[in-house]
Amino acid sequence: MSDAPLLSVRDLTKHYTTTRGGLFSRETNRIRAVDGVSFDIHPGEALGLVGESGCGKSTTASSVLRLTEPTAGDVIFNGGGRGGAGRNDDGTHPNDVTRFDRNELKAFRRDAQLIFQDPASSFDPRLSVGASIAELPLVHGMTDAERRRAIVEDLLERVGLSADEYDRYPHEFSGGEKQRLALARALVLNPDLLVADEPVSALDVSVQADILRLIDDLRAEFGLSVLFISHDISVVREVCDRTAVMYLGEIVEVGPTEAVFETPQHPYTEALLSAVPTLDPRSSGDHIRLTGSVPSPADPPSGCRFHTRCHRVIQPDGIDLDQSVWRRVLDFRERVVAGEIDSASVRERVRVGEASPGPPAGRSERAAADDTEVGGPDTDDAARVRAAYDLPATFRDPDVDRAVADAVAALLSGDDARAAETLAEAFTTPCADHAPEFTTHSDGHRAACLRHRPDLPGGMGVFDAE
Amino acid sequence: MTDNGSGATADGSGATADGSGATADGSGATTDDPLLAVEGLRTTFETEAGDLVAVDGIDFTVERGETVCLVGESGSGKTVAVESLTGLIDQPPGRIEGSVRFRGAELTALPPKALRRHRGASIAYVFQNPQDALNHCYTVGWQLIEAIQVHEDVSDAAARARAIDLLDTVGVPDPAGRIDEYPHQFSGGEKQRVMIAMALVTEPDLLVADEPTTALDVTTQAGILQLLDDLKAEYGLGVLFVTHDLATVSQIADRVVVLYAGTVMERGPVVDVFERPAHPYTRALLACLPGRESDLDAVGGAERGGIAGSLPDPTAPPDGCRFAPRCAHAESACSTGDQPPEVAVGDGHRVSCIHYDPGDDPSALPDPTESAAEAERSSVESARQDVIGDE
Repeated sequence: MSDAPLLSVRDLTKHYTTTRGGLFSRETNRIRAVDGVSFDIHPGEALGLVGESGCGKSTTASSVLRLTEPTAGDVIFNGGGRGGAGRNDDGTHPNDVTRFDRNELKAFRRDAQLIFQDPASSFDPRLSVGASIAELPLVHGMTDAERRRAIVEDLLERVGLSADEYDRYPHEFSGGEKQRLALARALVLNPDLLVADEPVSALDVSVQADILRLIDDLRAEFGLSVLFISHDISVVREVCDRTAVMYLGEIVEVGPTEAVFETPQHPYTEALLSAVPTLDPRSSGDHIRLTGSVPSPADPPSGCRFHTRCHRVIQPDGIDLDQSVWRRVLDFRERVVAGEIDSASVRERVRVGEASPGPPAGRSERAAADDTEVGGPDTDDAARVRAAYDLPATFRDPDVDRAVADAVAALLSGDDARAAETLAEAFTTPCADHAPEFTTHSDGHRAACLRHRPDLPGGMGVFDAE
Repeated sequence: MTDNGSGATADGSGATADGSGATADGSGATTDDPLLAVEGLRTTFETEAGDLVAVDGIDFTVERGETVCLVGESGSGKTVAVESLTGLIDQPPGRIEGSVRFRGAELTALPPKALRRHRGASIAYVFQNPQDALNHCYTVGWQLIEAIQVHEDVSDAAARARAIDLLDTVGVPDPAGRIDEYPHQFSGGEKQRVMIAMALVTEPDLLVADEPTTALDVTTQAGILQLLDDLKAEYGLGVLFVTHDLATVSQIADRVVVLYAGTVMERGPVVDVFERPAHPYTRALLACLPGRESDLDAVGGAERGGIAGSLPDPTAPPDGCRFAPRCAHAESACSTGDQPPEVAVGDGHRVSCIHYDPGDDPSALPDPTESAAEAERSSVESARQDVIGDE
């Protein structure tokens, strides 16, 4: 592997905006699909990009290829004989894909190719597969039809099909064979970079293994660099030299695949790995359970974007709770502040709690019918609210207990604003205030988590084994 | 576990269907009967190319409080099999033969209206795509309350309280607040939880879940699997879980039935099938899973690689074992007669393969025959060995 990366992405950003109004339109919403992503791919290397749906991995791929126009950032591509150039005086780079003009872009599209998840929809059903593949060299100026056919036939054999299949049509092929055809088409122009977006997700597991092996073989044979995008961690582990983990438009951890999988340094990576089912039927199934759902990329959380779901979210000075209790307290705070939990829903929960035998038993029949009564500071109701939202009946720490009790009482008396204020004041976390920077853990293994910042309260330099 | 070998019923499935249908009508249900007992189920579709045999004489049972997984690749007939149980297949062009007994009562003999009472009430379904099953024009609460009131004559307030309770049971956070939201305000995993809540409305005995987690992210999937496991324990539900994903099976199943081309290849307790897989197909399937080198030892050091070839034509299945044309262990005897009868290779662990005699150890599979092994290796194996060697 040489020193200069083939592809160098810096602070790549893609925001989708919605606007309202005509001539003097104003922006109403900004979806931060990709928000400052940086990575390098060296010649012959495969980089995996993993994350849940909606984390921006596919947008990253299409922005790198400029299939969607990135909002900001550099994509420096040194393939196709472009290597060796330095930055211009004004800081721009001659090989920056985001600044390519029409002709440069056409040349770039020869050197960087893409395959998709669904091979069935990427072939014209009315063209023979050979003609579909041979279309690319034709577009890029190879006029000799016989030579085109010879090249395509050779490629068909290299991807494990036979040259006779040139004249057959897409519907005659199975899903796995179509993905082989897609690979042949991607390789026909002899590219330096292959971007594979979920290339095996639509395939049966027995076919997946074949295609992954083929990608691996072709990579060695053609000296390809691969950007491999998948939500399936085990697939990435199989083919990639390095892996980057994305969450909500940002890369949170990147490093050599084995290091990332064996010693994950970001809690999100830990959770993702823990969720992958093992093949061992005797395993306990004791997963790290992420609470809540992925926040909206239109309004990402402050500080570390993962802090709203993180199982290792840091406790501030002066609070020392069991980590899982702390997580539940923060969830409660989050939802009250967001208005998801308000006095109306709390009252309804109290009624449901009365109807079904819940934890706070022994409640008299002074009952659900009397709605107006619920307003008072009723200890039974308060206990029921705590139970309904997974909060302990009492906290060891009197300050914590008082804050929660005040907030619950406020909710029961219909004062949502006071409840939100009380909780927001009492419970803060450094994770919401500081955006984490990358720290290096071993050769090329970097993660962005405040737990690795010993200078912050709660940061300890390393993960403690919990 | 049924005691019939599948070979026997596959031969005369039409006859068995008629016979058992008649007897079941006469006899009452007893508590000894398994929750669900399927025998000689055969589903065919009339097509222009001839009769397409999607499910070719399969047997299985599901007991209360256990999860049985039907596992197979696309085209193995697993979905058609579970849809045949309550006649969800249009007939014609479909034709369902064989016996499906639910708590001892024969379902295949029931008229459509009586069958409809079972469907939903005692047998509930959860499908792969919750967004297709929820109406996006109505709130989640409206749809749940409707489902409750279709089955029970209760007041709006009681139905609403029940709906909130159900949403709480399936782990939707803040159910009282979320009940008036629309499906698009729910994430994929939450929608699937709503579908499970809807399935629980009638307090069914059997939950049929067809690839319920396939469309979900892995973090969400873990939560749904945990929920199904909890419900099974809490309500004594029988769960019939259909999936193509072996890793999911290992997490949730008590027993596994491995399907290939509409027939049962192997079945048994999940630990036996995963730790001592007997059938060459099961072994190959386990070996296909990516990124799990360490697990390969657990399956007897099976060789990594895809399975060469493709599924047989369902309108003209091959003679003998359906898997023989792709099997590295196939001999000439594998391609004659019918699918081999199942033989026991452990307690409840049965395999349909001529290489085993009753009572054999599951590891007794002989080495692949020379010719078949060569064909398998020539194209791919050398490259593969290099990759494995690197790790």
